[in-house]
Amino acid sequence: MLFLNPLLLWGLLAAAIPIAIHLINKRRHKTIQWAAMQFLLKATRESRGKKKLRHILILTCRALAVAALAFAAARPVVSGLIGWGGGSIDTVVLLLDRSASMETKPGDGLAPRRQIVIEKVRDAMKTLGATRLVLIDSASGKPQEIPSPDVLAEIAATAPTDSAADLPALLARAAEFLAETTGRSEVWLASDLQTSNWHPEDERWAAARASLAALPQKPAVRVLSLTGPSAPNTAIRILGSRRSGDEMLFDLEILRAADTRGTTTLPLTTNLNGTRTTENLTLPGQSLRFQKRVTLPGGSETGSGWLSIPADGNSRDNSTFFAYGPARPVKSVVVAPAGEAADYLALAAAPPGFGNQATQRVDPATAASLATGDLAAILWAAPLPTGPAQETVSRFLTSGGHVIFLPPVTSSDDSFLDLKWSNPTEAPAGKFFILKDWNHSDGPLRDASDGTPIPAERLKAVRRQIPLGDATALARWEGGEPFIARRILEQGTAWFLGSLPDYTWSNLGDADVLLPTVQRVIAAGADRFDASFLTTVGSETAQPLAGETRARLDDYGTQNPANAAYESGIYRLGERLLAVNRPAQEDNPEILSREQLDQALDGTRYTLLDQAGQADDPSLSRDVWRAFLIAVLFFLISEAILCLPKKSHPQALPAKAAA
Amino acid sequence: MHDFIDNTLLSRLASLPIESRAPMLGNVAGKHRSPHRGSSVEFAEYRKYVAGDDTRRLDWKAFARSDRFYIKEFEADTNLRAYFVVDASGSMNFAGNGESKIQVARRIAASLAYLLVNQGDAAGLSICTDKLHLEVPPSRRAAHLERFFSTLGKVQPSGETGLIQALHTIAEKIGQRAFVVILSDLFTDTAALGDALQHLRYRKHDISVFHLMDPLELGFEFDRPHRFVDLEDGTSIVAEPNLIADEYKSALRDFLTAVRAKCHDASTDYQLVTTDTPLEPLLREFLTARLPKSKH
Repeated sequence: MLFLNPLLLWGLLAAAIPIAIHLINKRRHKTIQWAAMQFLLKATRESRGKKKLRHILILTCRALAVAALAFAAARPVVSGLIGWGGGSIDTVVLLLDRSASMETKPGDGLAPRRQIVIEKVRDAMKTLGATRLVLIDSASGKPQEIPSPDVLAEIAATAPTDSAADLPALLARAAEFLAETTGRSEVWLASDLQTSNWHPEDERWAAARASLAALPQKPAVRVLSLTGPSAPNTAIRILGSRRSGDEMLFDLEILRAADTRGTTTLPLTTNLNGTRTTENLTLPGQSLRFQKRVTLPGGSETGSGWLSIPADGNSRDNSTFFAYGPARPVKSVVVAPAGEAADYLALAAAPPGFGNQATQRVDPATAASLATGDLAAILWAAPLPTGPAQETVSRFLTSGGHVIFLPPVTSSDDSFLDLKWSNPTEAPAGKFFILKDWNHSDGPLRDASDGTPIPAERLKAVRRQIPLGDATALARWEGGEPFIARRILEQGTAWFLGSLPDYTWSNLGDADVLLPTVQRVIAAGADRFDASFLTTVGSETAQPLAGETRARLDDYGTQNPANAAYESGIYRLGERLLAVNRPAQEDNPEILSREQLDQALDGTRYTLLDQAGQADDPSLSRDVWRAFLIAVLFFLISEAILCLPKKSHPQALPAKAAA
Repeated sequence: MHDFIDNTLLSRLASLPIESRAPMLGNVAGKHRSPHRGSSVEFAEYRKYVAGDDTRRLDWKAFARSDRFYIKEFEADTNLRAYFVVDASGSMNFAGNGESKIQVARRIAASLAYLLVNQGDAAGLSICTDKLHLEVPPSRRAAHLERFFSTLGKVQPSGETGLIQALHTIAEKIGQRAFVVILSDLFTDTAALGDALQHLRYRKHDISVFHLMDPLELGFEFDRPHRFVDLEDGTSIVAEPNLIADEYKSALRDFLTAVRAKCHDASTDYQLVTTDTPLEPLLREFLTARLPKSKH
């Protein structure tokens, strides 16, 4: 509770007046000679208790009536946002979450949560009067003085964005700002509490809390929670795009709100270089991942576009942008000694009919001089690389390439990335090594986008070598030993397969396992070329380099040039063509739990206002002096009722002599 | 002249006789009934002649009619002796906004005594406190009244009440039936008061109680805290009357009810008199109520 006229709180001292009058009256007694003393003594003994309580209640009512009047005169303002405390607030630092998820509407026909909370903050600031308002928005992270609450909804720094938010960094920035500010201050944190933006486990929270605690005048922290029910929403996101000749292959994901049920049909609009096509999409559940092919116009070298669904509960997640460059062949290299295994690997890397795929066979002895600049993947069926070859492969991996290591046939102590091969082992006579389980959602043996599993159970091996070391196993033999292991090195990935496509080792060459594995690894490796056209809002690649200027190419939706750095779209940065999309984390519906919030803001004694995002709760604060006036009336009426004489006794005393 | 005697009042009441409700035993002939047969003109009864009876009282006409001897008897009239018992404890000195209770007691006692002597009856006075018991023996001489009034006028209430002891003493002391008038605020133990009244009643005395109370004592209306100082023992207490008024009135009501019940049990005339009550209607009502039904 805040008081707009705090000086009038001195009027609370007037509450002592009834008590003082009572005490003075008690001392101002008259002396009288009295005869009927026996009744007086009896009455005095009996009147203790109920009567005394009644008298105390009367006195309390009088004192409270005066106190309530003083409170009303001090113009109290109350809400969960403005806590108890005398005096006024000098500075309010508003930390505004401007992430794409903040554009979710609490209901059909209502404004987005970001807009609702901005209007509420504006009204609250008007109530507070001369309090200074400083805005730190999640997109820019820069403190900005707001001259008047009225302009809060108008400025670009509160406009919607497609960015993510980094709340621990935002709080740290607020602490940094408050270190240079004097007076009583408060931090108002307006957010939808999206876990992916709050990073509750992040160690930076401790640093931010320590910075706040170190301030000479510790600010009150108010969390304006914008959670709660929301309008029906569907989001579309591009998981990956790849140019394959005259076609673009899109891996798409469509997510519906968690509370939706049943199958629905959705129009999916594709805008390719200004040409618009629409098709209907059937959504069987809450999420759908699928691949979409788009034929590019003949002779198209570069281009861009977007895929969109109709506007709904959040207008910022209804589109996803893409761009593409000239078609390039998908190249791979098979490093293996000549033989059946090398043949199968080369066949799997560039099967007949895949015109844009090419592979080259390289002898392990010359692998050190391998040119990897345009390679998508390397298939390495030889002793693990050492010396110059190891450097070459490592460089390839760190630049985003993928390498599949297969058993070297012979025993070796060589290691790569702290991984090495075990000695070859053979299955007992008449028996095979078979796969027990594999990851159906991740890795090269994952199920197809339509849910069809890879028939990995058909793999039968008589010989195998086990990758030893710290790696993630994605498929295991029957005995639990890893068949496929993964080790990520910066942007690239090293894969280890525990058998060879050779009839003396296994039936891996039958293509049930080898072909999808190799093709998927090559596709992942090739993505690094197409990925250069895709980026997310706020990422480093989306920032203009020195000498580059930003220009937006698309005309999707309402654009705010002042917020170009925080909006998704098609941009040209210097010579670069970029499709900038909102970060994937913005589609994550997970909300921070109260325990996680307590943990993040531990020690700040924060106040949670969980109705801030409700459109039907018009304001964050209320002028409540009327309530105190009603309280004055209540206390006065109570006092009057308590003062009423009791009903006369049926056996009244005789006033006159009776015969 | 004493200030508690109102000649106008006495002259107005002079036409009303003071009657006894029970037969009295006086020492001279008077206007009150006696329990013995006498020589008045009022026929009482016939009874059979027994040896030794005065033959002059034989009813010869009855003998002529029935051939039997009958004695004709007549009522005996005697005078009345009244004892006025005035409580002179400190509480009788209380005066709210008018006269004190002792002053009202003086006026009632003096008026009734005057009327009694005036009609040939005797009036005596007994003044009691815990330490003092003054007595003026009953007499029907007019000169006796001056002594009665003088003693009454000199009474200065003080100390605690000695009413109960005084009533027992009077009950034992008065040999013959008498009219006992008690003037007191009765601030004493009601059970002991009941015993004393029963004692008097056992002696066949005709008892009347004038219970004197001040309107302030009954109403207990004060507008601010007061220090109440006991008139009898001087102890004091500070109290807020508006806080304890209900309890005070309840206790007082219980007391009045108990006193009234004790008086009723002892067949005693009970009069609750507030000190602001005009005396004439009070006494007129008192005297009228005592008249025999036929004289009403």
